[in-house]
Amino acid sequence: MTAIAAARRTARRTTMISGLSLALGVCLWQLMASGISDLILPPPTDVLARLMDPAFFARLSRALGQSLVPLALGFAISLGVAVPLGIAIGRSKSLSRMFEPVITAIYAIPPIAFVPFLVVWFGLFFPARVALVVLMTVFDVLQVIIAGARDVRPGLLDVGRSFGASPVARTRLIVLPALSPFLFAGLRVGFARAVNGTITAELFFAAVNLGAIMKRATENFDTAGVLLVVLLVCLLGLLGQAIITLLETRLLHWHVRS
Amino acid sequence: MRRAMLPLIGVFLFLLVWQLAGRSLGAAILAPPSIVAFDYLELLRQGDMLRELALSLRQMAIGYLAACVIGMPLGVVMGRSRVADGVFHPWVAMFVVTSTAAQIPLLILFLGTGLWLRITVAFLSTVFYVVLTTYNGARGIAPNQLAVGRSFGAGRLQIFWKIMIPAIYPYLLTAARIGLVHAIRAMVTAELFVIVGYGGLIHQSGLSIETGPLLGLILTLMIVSLLGDLILRGVGRWVAPWYEQQRLVSS
Repeated sequence: MTAIAAARRTARRTTMISGLSLALGVCLWQLMASGISDLILPPPTDVLARLMDPAFFARLSRALGQSLVPLALGFAISLGVAVPLGIAIGRSKSLSRMFEPVITAIYAIPPIAFVPFLVVWFGLFFPARVALVVLMTVFDVLQVIIAGARDVRPGLLDVGRSFGASPVARTRLIVLPALSPFLFAGLRVGFARAVNGTITAELFFAAVNLGAIMKRATENFDTAGVLLVVLLVCLLGLLGQAIITLLETRLLHWHVRS
Repeated sequence: MRRAMLPLIGVFLFLLVWQLAGRSLGAAILAPPSIVAFDYLELLRQGDMLRELALSLRQMAIGYLAACVIGMPLGVVMGRSRVADGVFHPWVAMFVVTSTAAQIPLLILFLGTGLWLRITVAFLSTVFYVVLTTYNGARGIAPNQLAVGRSFGAGRLQIFWKIMIPAIYPYLLTAARIGLVHAIRAMVTAELFVIVGYGGLIHQSGLSIETGPLLGLILTLMIVSLLGDLILRGVGRWVAPWYEQQRLVSS
């Protein structure tokens, strides 16, 4: 009881220190910015003022809404490919021996290097963006799922077998539950990569949505605007991860996260 | 015997599918491996590819090494001190999700498009992964190992060198390997954005009507990345052959 209380207290103290650290960082930024031209580093108050600018805010929120479409679609496709494939490869010794070298080799290639290719195949607009999101997300998720599927304790499967569970029933009742912590890890990794892929695609293909706002702000030396978009993308990534973690603690309360 | 053949069969199947797809789609859309092989020899003969690669890699290496030198100690400190964890963790968590591509326009405003841009991009997109991996290792040191050290009268320095460093070592190696993947990705991203160096070369051959040379350039990136990983693993085994290496999955 006291141990739990002590752990809670240290956790609360760590959160407090984190908050202080963030606040101090913003103060430091304000101080530093006052000595430097606004073109290079605008103070946080300027960035906030930029956000409050109604015209800019409207553009930003519309762009964000439109960016979410390829993000969601690309993320969904990546999961749809990576999860079944990862389970198949992770559960089968022959499949993993056969295809892991190929996967490792492809994973070693920076996905961004495929951009000229994607232009040839998908053009410069929506399909190309979705394709880049998938390319940047799918292999990272796949690696987590393969590791998870391999991690299922053989004893559990033996129990299933001795109780006469069919392969399908074993997958559904044993592999999937055992895999679920990894599934959430995969979701977290994958979502961060998908956000990354979305903004990358908007900058590297035809500049649209958030990418277009960024490009235009860069050309106008509107550093506050650029910073705002970067912050927004960063917050989107953090928010997504927080939601996934929340879902995990709700759905997998039986699983103690280390 | 059959088990040893399986990876080869996998590679062969992959090449076969690629060859068939390339044949039916044509070299303008997807050059088959048979054509890429010829184009690759041509790329090697011309010399542009390897020259640009060497220059780009040198700049990446500066950023990457800086990221390791700064990120590893920071990760250890964060893993061992609650206060340092509280101070740095929110920043690390924030920067690690910020995409490299989104940072580049901002960094161009700060640094221009020269040498420092590429070094900084490589550094920034590597360092936080190195920190987090090392941090996980430092946090996970078994308390009873430290307790044994203390009860045998080891000093703080001895505990650091004889218990903590050996316990963290596999994570340092993993951090270096994960970091390298990100550093190479960042290098290509930055160079494709400002169209210089190896990334510039990729952009250029993307404009040509043949996809063979483009695939050749991508192939070289793959070889560099795999080779770098192999070297790091080799060095790791050479320094401390008794360690089982951590898996490359991080979350």
